[in-house]
Amino acid sequence: MGEIKDFECTYDNSAGISSEVTGGLGLEFPDAYMHQETMSRLSKALKEHDGASFCELPFCHTVEAEALGGIINYGNDKTGPRAKEYICNSPEELLKLPEIDFSQGRIHEVLLVCKALREQGEHVVLQVSGPFTILNVLIDARYVFKGMRKKPELMKEVFWKLGNEILKFMKEAQDYGADMISYADSSGGVNILGPKMAGQVVEDFTYEFLKKARAELGKETLLLLCPKTTFALLGTGKAVLSDVSLTGPMEYGKACAEVIGKVDLVGQMCIKNVHYTLENGKIKEVKLL
Amino acid sequence: MAKSKEELLAKLAECVVEMEEEEAEETAREYLEAGYPAFDGIMHGLVEGMNKASQLYEDEEYFVTDVLLCSDAMYAGLDVLRPHLPEEGEAKKKGVIGVVEGDTHDIGKNLVKIMMETAGFDMIDLGRDVPLQKFVDTAREQNAELICMSTLMTTTMGGMETVIHLLEEEQLRDKVKVMIGGGPISQKYADKIGADGYSQNAVEAVKLAKRLLSIA
Repeated sequence: MGEIKDFECTYDNSAGISSEVTGGLGLEFPDAYMHQETMSRLSKALKEHDGASFCELPFCHTVEAEALGGIINYGNDKTGPRAKEYICNSPEELLKLPEIDFSQGRIHEVLLVCKALREQGEHVVLQVSGPFTILNVLIDARYVFKGMRKKPELMKEVFWKLGNEILKFMKEAQDYGADMISYADSSGGVNILGPKMAGQVVEDFTYEFLKKARAELGKETLLLLCPKTTFALLGTGKAVLSDVSLTGPMEYGKACAEVIGKVDLVGQMCIKNVHYTLENGKIKEVKLL
Repeated sequence: MAKSKEELLAKLAECVVEMEEEEAEETAREYLEAGYPAFDGIMHGLVEGMNKASQLYEDEEYFVTDVLLCSDAMYAGLDVLRPHLPEEGEAKKKGVIGVVEGDTHDIGKNLVKIMMETAGFDMIDLGRDVPLQKFVDTAREQNAELICMSTLMTTTMGGMETVIHLLEEEQLRDKVKVMIGGGPISQKYADKIGADGYSQNAVEAVKLAKRLLSIA
């Protein structure tokens, strides 16, 4: 097995929600984060502000966790929704959480926005969180790490419980028109877990999960990986990169849109780095082995 | 046969390094029952173990998750030994620590807190998603000499600068050193907002705090 490299998040990219973006929209916060119509306006404003070629959704990493029962602080015009307090104290409690009901709540509104934006001709990148990011809302991270060390089989069950919900979310999003889905789990990066545990997560979960996601989504929806996940796959020998020619040099977001239907998986750059340009006119496909 | 003090101290340290929380607790009890002083048990047993864990972290043999579990073992032992400490002598340097408002990623912050406490600082942990004014209020109320802030998110970094401005407005800036860290933070950013220092990880944070407060 090779070495898992880390991809360092930087701040020279989309800054997300800020008063610069929200000012002048006449929206009420945090109400705007909860309803289809306002989320749609917010997503478009963010796209415009960043000069991006696509709309991003949602504006936080709490939607999945909330749908599983997590308690959320909805934030304001400066900062988006985030976790409020933990609802679980053990892996056993996590396993008892209910399945997600996609027909109600904020997660349903997010799906409706996907549909509305696509109908308006926008490319939509739905940002889906991985298990560590979801767990960050539900339980203190130390219980997760302790579980991974002392009860690895139980934690594997937890990952798959969440993984199956994420797969359903991706499929729903596809049905609602999302043409790009990004998958990120930066809370479970090698910088936090260390190489051994990060490798174990790929073996126990990520690799199989992404294979299933690809099989479920088919060609019509492109899956974008956070580079931390890409590096974890490459470092564990579970994937390789392969160059795919574009019509010319272009920004990464535009390149992703161009290869929808032609490529299954990309992930060489953070999608929030909106002006990252592929000068050589090639994008790297991530091929699962 | 009863174990010697040295054996028990070594065992306490080992429990921390090996992340054995329950064993650390049991060994701490055994140590007290044998009549040895709590202070030595903490400093030459538990803290010694945590220092070894820090070294392993610095050598990249241990990672964040390992150190957090080591600290669980240390705190389990501390809970047993601490009530048996004599009245405190010299006051410890106080620091306020927290994740800035808007962000809930607290793994790094917890790690810095653990390392700072191990190094002898009295850390007041405000937790995560901390209202910016609270850093300043707590520093003033507790006479803290240090504020440590972290964030993993680009959207909340600006809060750190706000805290510095709030300290200036309340004429506290000269009395409190400000240290920052977290995923998107850099020395460049620290310089830009006028923080006293940036550290890349928890071990460096302790060195920086000592340097800023002129502690040998």
